[in-house]
Amino acid sequence: MAGRELTFRIMRYNPETPEVKPHLQDFKLFEEPGMTLFVVLNKIREEQDSSLRFDFVCRASICGSCGMLVNGRPTLACRTLTKDLPDVTTLLPLPVFKLLGDLSVDTGTWFREMSIRTESWVHDDSEFDPTKQEERMDNEEALKIYEAERCIECGCCIGGCATANIRPGFIGAAGINRVARFMVDPRDKRTEQEYFEVVGSEDGVFGCIGLMACDDNCPVGVPLRGQIAYVRRKMASAGWKMKVGR
Amino acid sequence: MQLQKAMSYNPRGDFLVETAQMVSGLLLVLFLWAHMLFVASIWLGQGSFNALAGFMDRYGLLPLTIVFLVLVFGTHVGAVLRRMPRQYAEQRVVWKHAKLIHHGDTWSWVFQSITGSAIIVLAVVHIAIVSFAGINVHLSSLRVANPGFLVFYIVLLLLSEYHASVGLYRILVKWGFVNRYSMKRVLNVVSVLFIVVGGVSLWILYSLGA
Ligand code: SF4
Ligand code: SF4
Ligand code: FES
Repeated sequence: MAGRELTFRIMRYNPETPEVKPHLQDFKLFEEPGMTLFVVLNKIREEQDSSLRFDFVCRASICGSCGMLVNGRPTLACRTLTKDLPDVTTLLPLPVFKLLGDLSVDTGTWFREMSIRTESWVHDDSEFDPTKQEERMDNEEALKIYEAERCIECGCCIGGCATANIRPGFIGAAGINRVARFMVDPRDKRTEQEYFEVVGSEDGVFGCIGLMACDDNCPVGVPLRGQIAYVRRKMASAGWKMKVGR
Repeated sequence: MQLQKAMSYNPRGDFLVETAQMVSGLLLVLFLWAHMLFVASIWLGQGSFNALAGFMDRYGLLPLTIVFLVLVFGTHVGAVLRRMPRQYAEQRVVWKHAKLIHHGDTWSWVFQSITGSAIIVLAVVHIAIVSFAGINVHLSSLRVANPGFLVFYIVLLLLSEYHASVGLYRILVKWGFVNRYSMKRVLNVVSVLFIVVGGVSLWILYSLGA
């Protein structure tokens, strides 16, 4: 079966040759059954232009490396089927992140910095006793942590966020979700006040203006709206108590 | 942290501004709705409108309202300004971004800052006129009968209802109290209702004045 002819308008830019301005280049190919953007881009690179840059690793929505703007919508290329696309599709790299070339961006550095800033590790000063039995965790809590940990760090919620686009320090929905993950974890002994230092600001949860582009775009469906609201309420209560305390 | 930042560090600053924005916004929404209902007293006849206005005048509610408005409105504008991408470069980024990602709610933010700026001007004019001229059916109907003013009021009505509805939606979404989509629908209905209420009041005043 001969498929539709699809046109892909792909942004081309190489930071090493800044004199060549970013521009859109058209590629055409025929649709095949079950075709994803992963197939499309690889085909284009193999058959039409070997200099085209993009990232894929798992091609199964697990690694989070293929986030890009597909007709403006931040999503994973590997899970986007061409049958859901119109005849002409524009592909742009994710905003906010450092552009490495064409569709490839560096999400890793951003996420590492975010991890450091949100102190994404379990904080506990108590002495470790190797002879003691491990403490049990409530199943409910474990599930909540698991829900937050489903984030694959693809950056779709960051690229689509208006705030993140104008506020470089903003930790975004992924960052707020990360904080929520540690907040529900009973092993993390941080107090509300300590969390407040981390996210109780304009760069944290109070910078979010609630446009919910993150919630609408997360490809794995992390419940970002709920996570943001959860952290916001916690931080509001911490901010409130601070006044009483002083 | 830089020295100056460390010295002026107020961990609660952002939280307080955010709270100020929300509380003042909520108060303004409530005020707007009460306002529309008060004006709607014209539905019952000129007598009730004048009686209400007279009542407010007698007990000093008018100056009180104006003080309230100046304070709350001022707070809201002050708190919100930090959110509005002010610099030209930022404006362009947001505009481009909204165009790029085809996302309804992101557009509503762009509109929110546009309608907000327009309301600052229009509402100040409106408040100034009312506080200098006073309120009664005669004055209001004459004003509304003037086509320029009629347009002015219709625009102000539409802008403020839109701005209030989106703002309220945003607050509820951010704090996560209710389901997003059903809430949006409820708010749309409420706003349309108030626009109708305001519109009918304007129409009655217009026919009285003409
Ligand atoms: S809801 Fe907040 S974090 Fe999510 S896209 Fe909007 S501003 Fe960004
Ligand atoms: S929260 Fe969702 S959209 Fe954001 S980085 Fe994680 S997986 Fe991607
Ligand atoms: S290639 Fe791993 S998520 Fe798309």
